[in-house]
Amino acid sequence: MNPFLKIDVRRPAGFALLAATLLCGGLTTSLCSAGPDTNAAPAAASSPAASPATRHQLTGAELYSIHCNRCHPERYPTERTAAQWKTIMLHMQVRANIPGQQARLILQYLQENSGR
Amino acid sequence: MKKTKNTSRWICGLVAATGAAGLLPTAATAEVSDADFNALKAMVQQLGEQVQSLRQTNALVEQTHLQDLQELQALQSKLAETQQTATDANQKATAAAQAEAQPVPRAPLDEATVNRNFQILGDAEFQYVNADHQNGAFALADFAPIFLYRGGDNILFEAGFDTTIANNASGGGYSTTFNLSFAQLDYVMSDYLTLCAGELLLPLGTYSERGAGWLNKFPDDPLAVDALIPGSGVGAELRGAMPLGDSGKLLNYAVYGVNGPSSADGTGNAGALDLGGNVGVTSGGTSANLHGNPSGGGRLAVFLPFKPRYDLELGVSGMFGDWDNAGNHLWTAGVVDAALHLGPNFEAKGEYILTRYGSDDLGIHQQQGWFVQAGYKLAGLDLDLPLLNNLEVVGRYDKVAFAYDPVNNVFDFNTQRYTVGYIYYFTSALLFEGDYEFTHSNDPSQTDTQLILQISYGF
Repeated sequence: MNPFLKIDVRRPAGFALLAATLLCGGLTTSLCSAGPDTNAAPAAASSPAASPATRHQLTGAELYSIHCNRCHPERYPTERTAAQWKTIMLHMQVRANIPGQQARLILQYLQENSGR
Repeated sequence: MKKTKNTSRWICGLVAATGAAGLLPTAATAEVSDADFNALKAMVQQLGEQVQSLRQTNALVEQTHLQDLQELQALQSKLAETQQTATDANQKATAAAQAEAQPVPRAPLDEATVNRNFQILGDAEFQYVNADHQNGAFALADFAPIFLYRGGDNILFEAGFDTTIANNASGGGYSTTFNLSFAQLDYVMSDYLTLCAGELLLPLGTYSERGAGWLNKFPDDPLAVDALIPGSGVGAELRGAMPLGDSGKLLNYAVYGVNGPSSADGTGNAGALDLGGNVGVTSGGTSANLHGNPSGGGRLAVFLPFKPRYDLELGVSGMFGDWDNAGNHLWTAGVVDAALHLGPNFEAKGEYILTRYGSDDLGIHQQQGWFVQAGYKLAGLDLDLPLLNNLEVVGRYDKVAFAYDPVNNVFDFNTQRYTVGYIYYFTSALLFEGDYEFTHSNDPSQTDTQLILQISYGF
């Protein structure tokens, strides 16, 4: 019995209960949160309130919000120059399996907001 | 009558007086001789000529003066022009001197169009580990740079390295290990298809491609990923993605051929399986796939974003091929992967891995493993507490079943592990991770519990 936890996490049931509690807490909080994303990157100001299904074409900012924090914390456009973003986006287009047209829109968004 | 008489008298008197004056000789009257007259006449003529000469001379002088005046005006005009020219030249010289002091502004380089660019990305991890029945120690876990070179709009060369140091087993000192984790040339053939060739990160599940140090929410890999499947292989791959409508949904696909797993000692015995050592060049200098037959595989997945930061990805992948040098036995693997994001604060992901291979000594054997992990950023609680808002709590359960026991030559090692931990985000790229792992295993190489603290930086 772990002295620091009241639940015996050495037992599968105990850990499963802890993991389920964590999962449910996270799911409940996420599903019930109706406000804007508090952790949204400043550059993603144009994130739509409506579902993407209602839009004809996703913008570079929206595609950035969709793709660019799936695997890692998002990197901000001001971190790199336009030429550097071009190289990095080519790398990410391959690594994250992003179609070329979407990658170009994301690249345009990053370059326009890099300020460098 | 009286008045007329007076007037007549005056007139007569006046006439008489005048006549008398004319008749009386004056005291000043004298006779002039001809010589004197002629001399005087000559003098007058001479004076007249002189006067005439003077007049001519004066006219000439006046004309000359007039010309002088004109020349003077012309000279004054030229002088003014010269002065202006000198002033202009002086100003130009001053401007030139100032321009030399300040560099000529260069036309700004359009960074967006630069087509030759070299980048170093990557990550570094530094750990403190305290495992059960062992002494705690600091460790440079990994320095993993990634080199990117873009040779155009659609050509990229990328290579990743892992550098670690470890105590020498004997003789003191330490050794540095430098591994090439991947090196591939990417050629984007179209918006939907990319050709990759080299030492590839294999799309067997997603962990191998997305599990680099700072991307992983835990300081170590899932058990099944390390134990059951290769993370890389030398070969070629076609991969890409296709939109499914306009809402951001994607179909991802990849198919590849690589050398595949091989035998560490050339035999077909179960314990000789080598997942990642068949890189095409032998120690004897021959270039050959050890079993002569390529392995093939692929992954198919759908990415379903409901809205930004709310998405689900489901994938299925597999790989198969000969593994022993004789080519008698097949090695196959199948992976199902899933990842879920519910807002910026919640993430869950997991994979199920099943492998199967034949051997000379133990026949056909099946191994399996899985992991499931979740993370929740406490900023989602909206408590407005500074430290809490940068904290994410994470948990993982992973298991590997029927791993190979090299001592007893059986597949009976079963390990399951429970991990609880946290990530503190100094920045989005500088992470302080800590986790505590509880392991249950009949594998003596596994520790019961361990604490790992890690600083991870992605650059």
